Amino acid sequence: MLRRTWFLLLLAGCTSSGPEADLQYIKQARSLGAEWAMVNQQAAEGKLTGAYVASMHRWLRDGLQTSEQSLSQPDSPYGNEIRALLASGDDASPDRLNAHVSKLKQIEDQLESA
Amino acid sequence: MNPLELTLGIMTAVGGFVDISELVFAAKAGSQFGYALIWAFAFSTIGIIVFSEMSGRVALAAKQPVFNLMRHRLGLKLGLVTLAASIIANLITCAAELGGVALILNYLTGAAYVAMAITMTVVFIASIWVLPFKWIERIYGLLGLFMIVFAVSLVAIHPPWDKIAGGLIPQVPPGLSTKELLTFAYFTVAIVSAVMFPYEVYFYSSGGIEEGWSAKDLLTNRITAIVGMGLGSLLAIAILANSAQLFGHAGVDPEIPGSAALEAAIPFGKWGLVIALFGMFFAVAGAAVETCLANAYSIAQFFGWIWGRHKKPWEAPRFTITWIVLFVAALAIVLTGVDVMMLVEFAILFSILVLPFTYLPLLLLAGDKQYMGQYANGPVAKTLGWLYFAVITVAALAALPLFLLTSGGNG
Repeated sequence: MLRRTWFLLLLAGCTSSGPEADLQYIKQARSLGAEWAMVNQQAAEGKLTGAYVASMHRWLRDGLQTSEQSLSQPDSPYGNEIRALLASGDDASPDRLNAHVSKLKQIEDQLESA
Repeated sequence: MNPLELTLGIMTAVGGFVDISELVFAAKAGSQFGYALIWAFAFSTIGIIVFSEMSGRVALAAKQPVFNLMRHRLGLKLGLVTLAASIIANLITCAAELGGVALILNYLTGAAYVAMAITMTVVFIASIWVLPFKWIERIYGLLGLFMIVFAVSLVAIHPPWDKIAGGLIPQVPPGLSTKELLTFAYFTVAIVSAVMFPYEVYFYSSGGIEEGWSAKDLLTNRITAIVGMGLGSLLAIAILANSAQLFGHAGVDPEIPGSAALEAAIPFGKWGLVIALFGMFFAVAGAAVETCLANAYSIAQFFGWIWGRHKKPWEAPRFTITWIVLFVAALAIVLTGVDVMMLVEFAILFSILVLPFTYLPLLLLAGDKQYMGQYANGPVAKTLGWLYFAVITVAALAALPLFLLTSGGNG
């Protein structure tokens, strides 16, 4: 019985696909986008050092790329939003970044309530 | 009891309390669940105080480090299994700390992550080789006190103190979906694991023997464990509360370790950011050194080798080679390019599985009057010890299913 439970758990983790399975990557991308906007907001107010901002941009972009590559349905509305985020310049305005974040949040909420 | 020594010991414990896992999970817990997981930090801090005090008492009364006891109490077979699991858990933890240090240097200076990981491995090896034990512990611990900036930041942003105080009461936030409930449970288990990492007890008890503790250090041991770790835990709680206040509303679920530094930058600007990064650097660097030494202590004690930093490196050659090899192995893991956050997740998972095997022999020996005489566990230590043992056993059983069901807390 215990063996079967483990097997089912592993199977669930390995084989799921579609928007439900992509939800964790959508959440991740939404959070990374919001963090990017926050970094740019604080940088614009002169509260961050150049090295920190450049480094955060690189790691946030890496994270977004990983999220995008992990999607089982990259040609989806959320896939497009993540790609749009990735296409933004490092110093994109917080408002522009937050617009993508809001759209990802809407998709996330819809999937969670489904 | 020398007051200066005691103060330095307490400050070292405060500065050395937070490591990469606590940093990551405190920030994530605050952003996702507000103040509702503060109790998990408070609860597990009492646990680590109980077991650290116990391991220090065993070190000074029975002069026995933890892994000696493990071999005697668990027998060779189970002892070997526990040793192997501990080595893996500590090695992954050490790699996570090393990767964390390289990342923080990258945020501070912009220097390449890989180059920083290699440089810091050399610095760590050199510092352990050159410095006496007490100074290894103190330099990293005392400089880790820069982390106090997180507590000051919390005061500066005027958080709802009543809600923070309310977070100390064990609770489950109302209205969570099943998925969110599982994630909340995973975070609870992860915080218990992060605060009660087994390496902390291995290092603490071995450190007591390194420093030649005797019965006259009983009170110092108790005060250092209670006050030092208690105050250190407040720093982790401050990171959580800052995150709840600053990140939660903005939809930021800190995905990288550097995010926590924003908590000090928002109220204090560049100086806040730099002080926070310095504090994080020394706290995480101290944890890297502790995990590596704890691993080497465990192996040397289990096999009965000569060990200790109170000896010259060449006087304990197998011990010396072991900690150097372990640092190089941790570096090799980092150089594979594996994500630091993933290393943190695995460190948490492996450590919680090892926890019951670490604490059971300690609990048995600390309560044994034959070994401990008048220093055996009293009713308070005994009750708390068994209570926490039950909790970590349940947490260990729940950890893997929760990890799988929540995709490592990502919902």
